[in-house]
Amino acid sequence: MKAQKKEIPLQPYVSMELLTTLTQVLYREARLLDQERYDEWVNLLAEDLHYHMPGIETRYRRDKYDQVADLNRMAYYDDSKEDLKKRLARLETGTAWSEDPATRYVHLISNVEVELTEKDDEFLVLSNFYAYRNRNERDDDMLIGHRSDIWRRVGGGFELVKRQIILKQNILLSKNLNIYL
Amino acid sequence: MGMDGFEMKADYGQFMDLKEGWVDRRIFTRDDIYEQELYKIFARSWLFVAHESQLPKNGDFLTTHMGEDGVIVSRGHDGKVRVFLNSCPHRGNKVCFADAGNARRFVCNYHGWSFDGKGELQGVHEEYCYDPGDLDKSKNGLKQVAKIDSYKGLIFATFDNEAVSLGEWLGDFRWYLDCLLDNEDGGTEFMPGCIKSEINANWKFGVENFIGDALHAGWTHDSGTRAMNGGEPFPPVDMANSYHASVNGHGWEFGLEGVGDIFLLGRPKVMEYYNDIRPDMAKRLGEARSKVFGSVASASIFPNVSFLPGISTFRQWQPKGPWKFELKTWVIVNKNMPDEIKSEVTKGVMQTFGPGGAFEMDDGENWENCTTVNRGVVTRHEKLHYRCGINRRVNDHPTFPGILYQGQYNDANQRNFYERWADMMGAERMADMPERYKSVMSGRETRDITGVKAV
Ligand code: FES
Ligand SMILES: [Fe+2]
Repeated sequence: MKAQKKEIPLQPYVSMELLTTLTQVLYREARLLDQERYDEWVNLLAEDLHYHMPGIETRYRRDKYDQVADLNRMAYYDDSKEDLKKRLARLETGTAWSEDPATRYVHLISNVEVELTEKDDEFLVLSNFYAYRNRNERDDDMLIGHRSDIWRRVGGGFELVKRQIILKQNILLSKNLNIYL
Repeated sequence: MGMDGFEMKADYGQFMDLKEGWVDRRIFTRDDIYEQELYKIFARSWLFVAHESQLPKNGDFLTTHMGEDGVIVSRGHDGKVRVFLNSCPHRGNKVCFADAGNARRFVCNYHGWSFDGKGELQGVHEEYCYDPGDLDKSKNGLKQVAKIDSYKGLIFATFDNEAVSLGEWLGDFRWYLDCLLDNEDGGTEFMPGCIKSEINANWKFGVENFIGDALHAGWTHDSGTRAMNGGEPFPPVDMANSYHASVNGHGWEFGLEGVGDIFLLGRPKVMEYYNDIRPDMAKRLGEARSKVFGSVASASIFPNVSFLPGISTFRQWQPKGPWKFELKTWVIVNKNMPDEIKSEVTKGVMQTFGPGGAFEMDDGENWENCTTVNRGVVTRHEKLHYRCGINRRVNDHPTFPGILYQGQYNDANQRNFYERWADMMGAERMADMPERYKSVMSGRETRDITGVKAV
């Protein structure tokens, strides 16, 4: 076993008010995604967004290759805001046959932690997600993992600058990823 | 009766009439047919196992499947690539649990037998318990495949001692493969990583989709096409100047406009790159193949590999029972591309043909439902229609080898895939397989051959 890391102090790094606000932002975002309100979701995204969900192979513990940091690797998502808008444009065509009838989504967000960063107006927000999908008769799956975000304060609200999504499946146990996490 | 009591001599031709143009749905669902596929197709074909670029250093390994047989592909400390079963000869436990990595040896978790990068048994835990004569280490290594060979970076292996050479297996299809694998000095490489997903569909639906189903693209993928390219629809298909070509069950459907698939990738810099190298490509492969590359096209290598030249997704449909396959995908790029272009290609592939890609998202659901409806016993006795373009055979084309059909909206490659499937399923010995096409480029390097007439 490795030496114990320094204990994380129990008091939050940020005010309760900020913690509550950013938690609410995540919940609001989750609701927009559940309801396929993608126009409004895109409004939460910063122009310089990096939305990254790496594909992670199973490797031995002794293998120190950092698959998450290597941006040359294949990734489920390695997107700018423009890239995400392209993916989303598919839904607006009216011919995305496999989206009709609609998929039923639930995003559960938990384990929210907020930390300060070097930039006054940016905050590191960690969370876990449990995303449930069900469509047609019995298509049914769940995606569980961690997110590590940077949210930036703008005007009266916040925008998402960076999101790293770590899905805890080796093989994606479903036919596609028609979902944003 | 053959292995496991399965009828080895069954006439699989009864499940289709390719002159009429139909295929019986039971080949997608029956357990006994699936079991026969594992023996007759997967245990006897040359199967793709890795790209050489995935194993650059001695000791590098990856794990994959040949049919349902788990294997380790390993570059031993002598620099040679070997493929052996991922199963310990002692009690059978799996010996490697990683997808990829670098290892000096593979040690079995159960009783501690250890194997080197060549698959040879090196040591056993508590060796004193074996008396002289109990354990011949030289005979208890990990079981090696019968043959390994590679074609321009792609490594294939087969379990069949009697298999023809890889060159013969691919045959004149090598001429087409060069469009993907040899269109520029330096050849190709895979980008790091492998994305896998699980689809509840029969593996053949994936293969036949890529082998010839251009028709679905403009319909299934209307939304993806428009999304990637600012609202523009699927490029029109020129039926007079597009083809299906099939060799030994492999197939490539293609246009000759040179840009359609690259356009679908939605990455203008990649288009520029290919436009720049196209004159050299024409010198290298001939005018015709420089136009095959990049046009609206898709291809499969029998039995279970597919790719889109120009889009650069490379994939394998790994069978997991009649009702399920695992889709393994990679990104294939030219080694000589600047890093920026490699990265553009990778992003483009993942945005189009990743599981969250604008195209891929609409395919899985089709294949799943083509499969699962056949749980109904009445449904599964209904024939499927494969007659499109049945009278458009082109004989003696001056340029394009293979069994050629005109018009890329066609079921020709699919019919030829199922013909090969039935031939192989029914053949007791591979040597008994009927010859459906006579190679014209046999034994020759295909890169320098500009077309059939130039042979
Ligand atoms: S099963 Fe591998 S050592 Fe016993
Ligand atoms: Fe498709």
